[in-house]
Amino acid sequence: MMNLRFHAMQPVLVLTAGVAAGMVAPAFATQYLSVEQAQRVLFPDATAFKDAGLQLSTEQMHAVEKLAGLPARSVGWRVFAAYRDSTLLGHVVVDDVVGKYELIGYAVALSPQAVVQQVEILSYRESHGFEIRSPAWRRQFAGKTAQAGLAVGDGIANISGATLSCTHVTDGVRRIAAVAQVALKPA
Amino acid sequence: MIRRAQPWLGTLVDITITAPDDDVVMAARAIDAAFAVVGLVHRLMSFHDAASDVGLINQLATGKDCRVDAHTARVLRCALLLQEASGGLFDIACADALMAWGQLPVVGNGAAADATGGSMVVLAVAEDNRVIRLREGAIDLGGIAKGYAVDQAVDTLQAAGVTAGIVNAGGDLRTWGAPGMLVAIRDPDAPRRAGRMLQLQDCALATSAGYFSRRQVDGVDTCALVDTRTGRPVLHGRSVSVMAPTCMLADGLTKPIIASVDPRHPVLARFDATAFVL
Repeated sequence: MMNLRFHAMQPVLVLTAGVAAGMVAPAFATQYLSVEQAQRVLFPDATAFKDAGLQLSTEQMHAVEKLAGLPARSVGWRVFAAYRDSTLLGHVVVDDVVGKYELIGYAVALSPQAVVQQVEILSYRESHGFEIRSPAWRRQFAGKTAQAGLAVGDGIANISGATLSCTHVTDGVRRIAAVAQVALKPA
Repeated sequence: MIRRAQPWLGTLVDITITAPDDDVVMAARAIDAAFAVVGLVHRLMSFHDAASDVGLINQLATGKDCRVDAHTARVLRCALLLQEASGGLFDIACADALMAWGQLPVVGNGAAADATGGSMVVLAVAEDNRVIRLREGAIDLGGIAKGYAVDQAVDTLQAAGVTAGIVNAGGDLRTWGAPGMLVAIRDPDAPRRAGRMLQLQDCALATSAGYFSRRQVDGVDTCALVDTRTGRPVLHGRSVSVMAPTCMLADGLTKPIIASVDPRHPVLARFDATAFVL
């Protein structure tokens, strides 16, 4: 028989911080891994990560859309090549997706043959509602890391509630798999 | 604290563990093993994948059988027990209604005739993990598999020597070890806010509510929760949380409670669980 301990505290109102003028702070936010940490988690044997950012041509964009069945969305992709000495171990593609309520940063590890190996969530942020669709709201997170002062919600270990679908992440991974097939797979 | 998350089971699975010196790489092996078992549960119990155990069961003709993985058999046995103990308020054979409401993709022959309510046992599980189809009715383990995956992940982390942590699959979570974890329950009237804060230790907790799945289909409100007595969606707008010894039980038990809106429903005591409604 398991010892169940359960302490209900007073209802606490929202855990938000730093509400700037004209902007609503997110209700829940978690920073999981920085890009550098994600690289090490995804390719623990790598000795070096090299910037391998992609700029897709129009033809490549069309090929991605055909493969993924989704709009290619971006010309530019944030990609790092993982090496152990001079051997290519694979690639890490970093992206974010915007859902109805959430902004999720994530990283996808791909083999040298452009097969998806692993997906890690980098960051998760929820808005109070509409403002997540505004570019200004999104910009405040661009390029931020765990050390960059995004402490909102850090005291909140976890949220329990109905499941928030991760369809956007699933679609994003499918799009990245297609980008990799088109632009990262050796000819 | 080391915290990581991966997308599995249609949601984000979040693992937080305490580790001696917050070395991400050192703890990575234990967390990788935990995510691997979550991934296995995902592949075995996916409704969307025709080659999963659930996919195979949903293609079985009445009277036919198929062998499933021991994990799937364990979840099915628990599902049948919960169905019996809740007088049918918990029922995995709710996928026809969910397909008709656009909450699940249409598979096989599609949704059977309009859901009319009433719970029926559609399958049996033999000791050798064979599943025998007794009646028609598509099954979905979405109401219990996340909890089972959390339990398996916690077992894996504990076996690796991790002394404290929390695993959370989209709100179905379990904590172990001191000093416990702070958990926010979404406010059903404003789900992006915390309606209540709890300090949990050595406890599983799951919450069900319709706020993220509610949508209109042909002008009619639906959500991902079915009241098996009527075959109608649960649209009362409340949130139900259940605490139980395992996350599979907590996850499964939210369904009879959200349908009955009775936090003192007798099914809870049978499984050593408690519930509250927000």
